[in-house]
Amino acid sequence: MVKRLFLISLLILGLSILSWGSIKLVMAVHWSDYQVNGVYDKNGNLVSKGLKQYVDEYMHLNPDVKIEIQSVAFDDYLKKILITHMSGKSADVYLLYSLWGVQLVDSGILNVPPRYISEDVKKNYVESAIKGTTINNVIWGIPIEVDNYALVYNKKLLKEAGYSHPPKTWDELVEMAPKLIKKDNKGAVKQYGFAFLAGWDSAVVHPYLSLLYSCGGKMLAPGYKKCLLNSPEAIKALNEELRVFKNGGTDPSASVWNFAQGTVAMIIMAPWYESSLKIAFGDKFAETVGVAPIPYIDKPANVSYAWFTGVDSTCKHKKQAWKFLSWLCSEIQPNTKTTRLGDLMAETIGAIPPRIIDLKNHPKQLEDVYTRTFIKELKHSIPEPNVVQGAEIKTTLMNEIVKAWHGEQTAKQALEKATKKINEILSEYY
Amino acid sequence: MKNKNPNILTMKRKETFAGYFFISPALLFYSIFFIFPVTFSFLISFKRWNMLRPLSSSPWIGFRNYIYLFTRDDLFKASLINSVIYAFVTVFLTLSIALLIAVVLLNIKYAVVWRFIFFAPIVTPQVALGIVWGYLYDPNRGLLNSILSFFGIPTHHWLTDPSLALFSVMITAVWAGIGGPLLIFTASLKGIPDLYYDAAKIDGANAIKRFWYITLPLLRPTLLFTIITGLLGAWQVFDLIYIMTRNAPAESVWVVSLYMYQIAFQSLRMGRASAAAFILFLIVLVITLIVLRIFKKGGIEGYE
Repeated sequence: MVKRLFLISLLILGLSILSWGSIKLVMAVHWSDYQVNGVYDKNGNLVSKGLKQYVDEYMHLNPDVKIEIQSVAFDDYLKKILITHMSGKSADVYLLYSLWGVQLVDSGILNVPPRYISEDVKKNYVESAIKGTTINNVIWGIPIEVDNYALVYNKKLLKEAGYSHPPKTWDELVEMAPKLIKKDNKGAVKQYGFAFLAGWDSAVVHPYLSLLYSCGGKMLAPGYKKCLLNSPEAIKALNEELRVFKNGGTDPSASVWNFAQGTVAMIIMAPWYESSLKIAFGDKFAETVGVAPIPYIDKPANVSYAWFTGVDSTCKHKKQAWKFLSWLCSEIQPNTKTTRLGDLMAETIGAIPPRIIDLKNHPKQLEDVYTRTFIKELKHSIPEPNVVQGAEIKTTLMNEIVKAWHGEQTAKQALEKATKKINEILSEYY
Repeated sequence: MKNKNPNILTMKRKETFAGYFFISPALLFYSIFFIFPVTFSFLISFKRWNMLRPLSSSPWIGFRNYIYLFTRDDLFKASLINSVIYAFVTVFLTLSIALLIAVVLLNIKYAVVWRFIFFAPIVTPQVALGIVWGYLYDPNRGLLNSILSFFGIPTHHWLTDPSLALFSVMITAVWAGIGGPLLIFTASLKGIPDLYYDAAKIDGANAIKRFWYITLPLLRPTLLFTIITGLLGAWQVFDLIYIMTRNAPAESVWVVSLYMYQIAFQSLRMGRASAAAFILFLIVLVITLIVLRIFKKGGIEGYE
C-alpha cells in the first residue's frame, strides 16, 4: 500500500515538474470558425490558413509554449472578457475593439507593451490604427485591423434603373434611392433603393458619423468634456439621412443584410462584409457588387475603427505573450515581406491589415474591386473617439437616431436629447 | 407557566435541531444560489461598478442609481411601462383564451389531439418561436401582410412600427403561452362534480350562467395560481423581445429585463442594472401581494 502511494506521488511529482517547463497562454478571439480553423476545399485541403495554423506553427517553433484559442461570437465577446475577469480566469491575450480600450485601461486590465512593440507600432502602422490603439498618449497593443466604410452597391440593380455609376454626392443618392425601389401590385417592397440597419449601434452610428464629418461637424469637443451633436452640422447630417426615408428610398424595415439576397441596391458597409458577399453571390460577385466612396454632403469623409491585440495585466507570462504577439503581428516573413497577421487578415478574414507593409504587399487581396476603395478611403477616415463609456454613448446616440428614422422626433429633437444624455455621461468621467 | 416540563422543551429543541439538520442541504443550496446573489446585487445597486475594477475599489454612491432611474432615465421609465403593459395584457389574454379553449375542449372528441396542438409551442424554445414569428411578421414577404393585402386590408410594419411592435410580440407570447394554463384548467375543470351543473340545469341556468356561477368560482384557486405564475413569467420576458424587435426604437419595445441586460453588459453599469432589478422586484412583490389579497377576500387562502 505504502509502495503504491509512493509510486503515485512520484508520478504526480513527475507530471508537475514536466508542466513547470511549459508556458500556457490563453488567447481570446471573436472570430468565426473558418477564421480560426482556416478555409478548406471540398477535398479537405487547406486553402487559406486560419489563426490555429499560425498558433500551431508558433508552438512548433517554441515547444515550451502552449497556446489555447478561446473563440466566442462578437456579441458575447465583451461579456466573456468581463465574466472571465470577475471569476479570475482571464485570457492572457485579447483581440480588443478600440472603443472598449479606455475602460479596460482605466480599470487596469491591460498591460503596457514593451518599448520595442510601441516603437514598432508608431513607425509602421497607418495613422487611424495608431490612434485607435492609443489611450492617454500610451500605445496599449498591436493594431490588427482597421475598418472604415464605403458605399456598396448592386451594379445590376443600378443598371436596370438606368444608372451606369453609383452616386458621388448624398444629393444624388437621395434622388436615386426611390427610383431603385420595386414594389408588387399590392404595395409590398420587393427591392429597396437604400438600406440602413437599426438595432446594432455601429451600423447606425458609423454611417451617421461619416455624414457628420462630411458636413464638417464633430461628435465630441477636444478633451471629451462636451458633446457637440446639437451643432447645426450634426443636425444637417441627420436631416440628410431622414431625406432618404422621406423620399421613399428606404423604410425602417429595410436591412443591410438583405443586400446579399439582391433585394437592396445600396448600403453603407465595412470591408469585412466582402467574405459574406462572395459566398452569397458566388461566381457573380464581381459582376454584381460594386464599391464606391460614401456619397458626400459637403466633403469626402469617413469614420474608422480599429482592433488591437493586448495582454492582460494578470497574465503570468507577459514577456512570452508579447513575444508571441510580436511574432504573429509584427515579424516580417522574408519570402513574402508581409506579417503573418497581415496574411490572415487579407487572405482569410477579408479585413484590412493596418501595417503599412501589409497594405503594400497584398496586392491580390487588397487591390481587388471590393477592398481597394476602402484602402483609398483611409485617407478620409477619422477614427472613432476613444472615450470612456464609448459603447454606452454609441447606444444612446443610436436610440435617438432610430426614433428619428421612425418619424417619432425631428433630427433636432433627437440630437438635442442625445447631446443631453451624452453630456451627463461625460460629466461623470471628464 | 412555570410548570412546563423541561423534558418536553429539550425534546422540542432536539426536534427543531433535527428539522434544521435535514433541511440544511437545501438551505445551503438556497443560500449559495439565491440569498448570496440577491444580497450581492442589493449591495452593488448602491455602487458604481463596471465589473472590470475590483468591487472594493468602486465608489459607494448611495441611492444615486435609484434616483437616476426614476428622475432622469426616460428609457427605464418606458421599459417599466412596457413591462407592466406586457405582463397584464399577455397574462389576461393568455388565461382568458386558455380557459375558453379548455371549456370548449372538455367534452369534445379527440380533445387530446387539440390539447397537444395547443401545448406544442410550450416545448419549443422561445428563440425559435421568435425567429419564425419574425418571418411571419416580415412587412414585405411575411404571411400576415400577404393575408391582409389579399383581403385589401392595409399592411403594417409589425415589428418596427413603434405603436405596434410590442403588441406584435404580445400576440406571439399569448399564442406560445396558452398550452400550459390550458392543461391546468382542463385538470381543474375535470375536478368539478357534474352534480352542480345538473342542479343548475334543473333550476334553468343557461351555459353562460353555469360558467359564471359554478365554473369560475370553483376555478378560483387555479386562477390564482395561473395568474401569479403567469405574471412572474411575464415580468421576466426577454427572449422574444430581444429576438423580434431589434429594429424598433428602444423606448417602444424595451422591457425591464432587456434594459437591465443592456445597461449591465453594454453600458457596463452593473450598479444601475441591479437597482433596476430591485425596483422590478418590489413592483412584482407588491402586485403579487395585491393579487393574493384580492383572492383572499374571495375566500382563497393558503398561498401566503
